[in-house]
Amino acid sequence: MSSALVARSAINARLASTFARRSLRPLAVHARSVSDAAYVPGGPIYKGTVNDPTDFPPPSKTHGSYHWAFERLLSAGLVPMTVAAFATSSSSYPLLDGILGVSLVMHSHIGFDSIVVDYLHPRKFPILGRVFTWTLRATTVGVLVGVYQFNTNDIGLTELIAKVWHA
Amino acid sequence: MQSLVARSSVVRPSVLRSSARTFATSSARAQAVPTEKPVLNKEFKIYRWNPDEPAAKPKLQTYTVDLNQCGPMILDALIKIKNETDPTLTFRRSCREGICGSCAMNINGQNTLACLCRIDRNESKDTKIYPLPHMYIVKDLVPDLTLFYKQYKSIEPYLKNDNPPADREFLQSQEDRRKLDGMYECILCACCSTSCPSYWWNQDEYLGPATLMAAYRWMADSRDTYSAQRKEKLQNEMSLYRCHTIFNCARTCPKGLNPAAAIAKIKLELAAD
Repeated sequence: MSSALVARSAINARLASTFARRSLRPLAVHARSVSDAAYVPGGPIYKGTVNDPTDFPPPSKTHGSYHWAFERLLSAGLVPMTVAAFATSSSSYPLLDGILGVSLVMHSHIGFDSIVVDYLHPRKFPILGRVFTWTLRATTVGVLVGVYQFNTNDIGLTELIAKVWHA
Repeated sequence: MQSLVARSSVVRPSVLRSSARTFATSSARAQAVPTEKPVLNKEFKIYRWNPDEPAAKPKLQTYTVDLNQCGPMILDALIKIKNETDPTLTFRRSCREGICGSCAMNINGQNTLACLCRIDRNESKDTKIYPLPHMYIVKDLVPDLTLFYKQYKSIEPYLKNDNPPADREFLQSQEDRRKLDGMYECILCACCSTSCPSYWWNQDEYLGPATLMAAYRWMADSRDTYSAQRKEKLQNEMSLYRCHTIFNCARTCPKGLNPAAAIAKIKLELAAD
């Protein structure tokens, strides 16, 4: 009985020492800074000790609820806008065509931006993530300019789709 | 035991004679022969990885279990394998009735509790058992849930109220109490969070369905006065809004809860703020 106890306590001591050694690594990393610990692929590096709660990014409604509400209202608004564009002729309502063009581009920008944030967030991909974020922004601006040119100097979005549809 | 029976039969032979006869003294011929069940062998392929050999790649190890000598649930099979075949097989288990949440694992591609998951008795198909997906593995079927618990701690899962009633209980109307149904039952088994692709990609920042439902459980509580502060914490890109309403959480929950609905309610309340 006593020998079993001794053996168990020896195992416990060994376990404790391994855990202590393991937990030294994140501690050493976080001795410098607790808040902005580097993301390390291939191993869990916790911010703080295992008993500390995770922290939150600084609150910002622009990145939070406003962004979400705008995204949803835009998506919902695209439905009547598309129907209206179908029902009317775009040449007589250039303003509607313009709003539809801008809304579509914003909608797809938010969608693609979500992909970048999900899969290529700059905290994990410091270079690639930023490259993609700015490529997306540049593309969106380019497409907006293109849509503007197309709507003012050419037949416009709705007419184009109608033409392709009947072709 | 035998000596006990023998001694008591000396004291009161008439009472215990019949029961004493069924013990070692009775011949095998006199006992009823149990009906033999046919052997129903089924293969279990179980994820194995040993931290003592970190260079060795994780592998699937096959065990064969006679289902007619085993309980009905996956956990029964795991315990039988550990007892009789391979004592090195490692998994968490405690209550064996779906209330502790220890035995959460990925069984045939679905996150669930091994103790609530019946063994498919079709012997031609094997059953594959993996640990919860996209988690760091401690050993075999044991995932590292440290971050999961740290996130749960971050939402302050306890009643916060600066003016609790001093002299009596904290009363709540039946309607207010009903708002907590479907949320307070969560056992934090992490099945939902680890089934969520958003949690897979961004679990260091995104809280995940289990923690968010726990957060809403305290926002919805009529006795809690820190709702505004709780909501403000989630006002950022990552903590809440990485939820893309994939609904894996609601589909996989072994307790039949709906974390997706709770997250939707948080989003609505944040937008209405």
